[in-house]
Amino acid sequence: MEASITLKKVGKLVDKKTILASLTFGIEKGSLVAIIGDNEAGKSMLLKVISGVEYQEYGQVFINGLDSKKRRSESMLSIGFVPHELDLDPWLTLEENIRFIGMLYGVNTEMLNTRMIQLSRELHITTHLKKMVKDISPGNIKKGMIIRALIHDPDIVILDDPTAFMDAESYRHTWDLLLNYRREKTVVYVSQSLQEVEEAHDRILVLEDGKITLDGSLDRILGSTFEYHQFQIEFESLSDELFDKLSKLPKVKNASRIGQSIHFYGRQRSVFFEVLNAAASTVMKDIRVQKLGLQDLMDAKYAKDGIH
Amino acid sequence: MAFMTLLPTLLHITITMVMKNIFIYSLDEIQYEIWVFPGIVILISILSTYSVIYRDLFNLRIHKKAFIPITLAPYSKPYLVIAILISAIIESLLYGSIAMIILSFFLPQALHWSAYAFIPIYSFIFLLLFGNLVLTFSILVERISSFLFLTIILFFFIIFGTGIIVEFEFYPKLLGMILSYNPFSMVLSELRGFLFFDQINLIFIAVPILVALGWTWFNGYILKRKLKQ
Repeated sequence: MEASITLKKVGKLVDKKTILASLTFGIEKGSLVAIIGDNEAGKSMLLKVISGVEYQEYGQVFINGLDSKKRRSESMLSIGFVPHELDLDPWLTLEENIRFIGMLYGVNTEMLNTRMIQLSRELHITTHLKKMVKDISPGNIKKGMIIRALIHDPDIVILDDPTAFMDAESYRHTWDLLLNYRREKTVVYVSQSLQEVEEAHDRILVLEDGKITLDGSLDRILGSTFEYHQFQIEFESLSDELFDKLSKLPKVKNASRIGQSIHFYGRQRSVFFEVLNAAASTVMKDIRVQKLGLQDLMDAKYAKDGIH
Repeated sequence: MAFMTLLPTLLHITITMVMKNIFIYSLDEIQYEIWVFPGIVILISILSTYSVIYRDLFNLRIHKKAFIPITLAPYSKPYLVIAILISAIIESLLYGSIAMIILSFFLPQALHWSAYAFIPIYSFIFLLLFGNLVLTFSILVERISSFLFLTIILFFFIIFGTGIIVEFEFYPKLLGMILSYNPFSMVLSELRGFLFFDQINLIFIAVPILVALGWTWFNGYILKRKLKQ
């Protein structure tokens, strides 16, 4: 597959502090890439560097094969960027905000009108187009920002928290629109919602202290990191002896006790049956098995230290 | 609309009607009301240029509204600076022209028709310089309080340091000489020379234009540096 975005040893410093550290990776055309990480991991800065909002101090960014520094004007035509903060001009209407950027990108009036109406219908904000931005709710402003980023029909759409401030319905409309572009446009986004990332991605990049620590699909990331399941068994009465006995079983990891329940991790589901066998003589009230998700991955203990 | 009609009247009442009782005639024996006329027109255009650049650049930039998407459009930074500057000047010249018509009713004698054509032309050159000055502040300053502080100093300089309402001959000799050779003063001095004495000094036109062009490029450069783009 052809690369849409390529980063070569990209480094970014802010006040002499390294925000992005020698990042090298490519993003395939038409893929949906989610970037996650802790606060200050460098996610937003990475989006800013890719979209040309701020240049990197080191390395090169290529957009559709063009060096984004040396051939900025051409590469910028391929990008639509939605920042995290609500940045429409509050003293213009939503339509004026979108129209102005469309005209800056040289979109002709007919095309501009068609796209604006089509996108606003898909995002259900047609009735807000004539309103001043200061009178529109933050969720609808964010949708307006998405239309503004798409108005010149870019190949690459970069979104920093695309569904921030949105209610459930707006969230669904927004993802319906973005998922329609799958395979057609490259979509790169940052989200704080791990559930959102789990639902919408071809690939996930996990950023930590400016470096990519994990890269791949959800299954691949979880599989390569830990194929663990989380187990919970609630007993009618969990004695100390039983807890010690169960926690010392060879395949039981990180056992902990909460009231009359034992929580533990195991690599295979079979460990669960071994625990059940060992505790067969004790009355059980409830059992639960859960495969680990991104939330567990991002939990500092497991992300940094793993399960011991 | 209120700005366009009330401001010229207000400036006529507060500046021209007061100062004409002090100066009566310029040192070249021109009636003060006529002498100050081009200066007042330029002053009105300046107020408009200032507010447009404040709105389009400083306000949007520091409040992070719409400015970054504008900078991502496929244009160079000098091009962007020129676009902001020229759009501000065009809007201001419109205000200035309307002000010129309103103020002409207060003149004791009508000016030659060419004055009404050349005042906007010289205003354009003056506004190129002034617009660049406000652009530099708008790019470099990060706080509204600092910007307001600089604005007050700027207007003191424009009103008293460029010969808009007072001739430099009334200042201490050295100070007057220094002020008369700043590019802003050159434009006004040349405009009055043309209007009242039919004199044209091409150096006094060329220098402000060259300074303005260099300043525009410089503003493009510092905008690029500031945005790290």
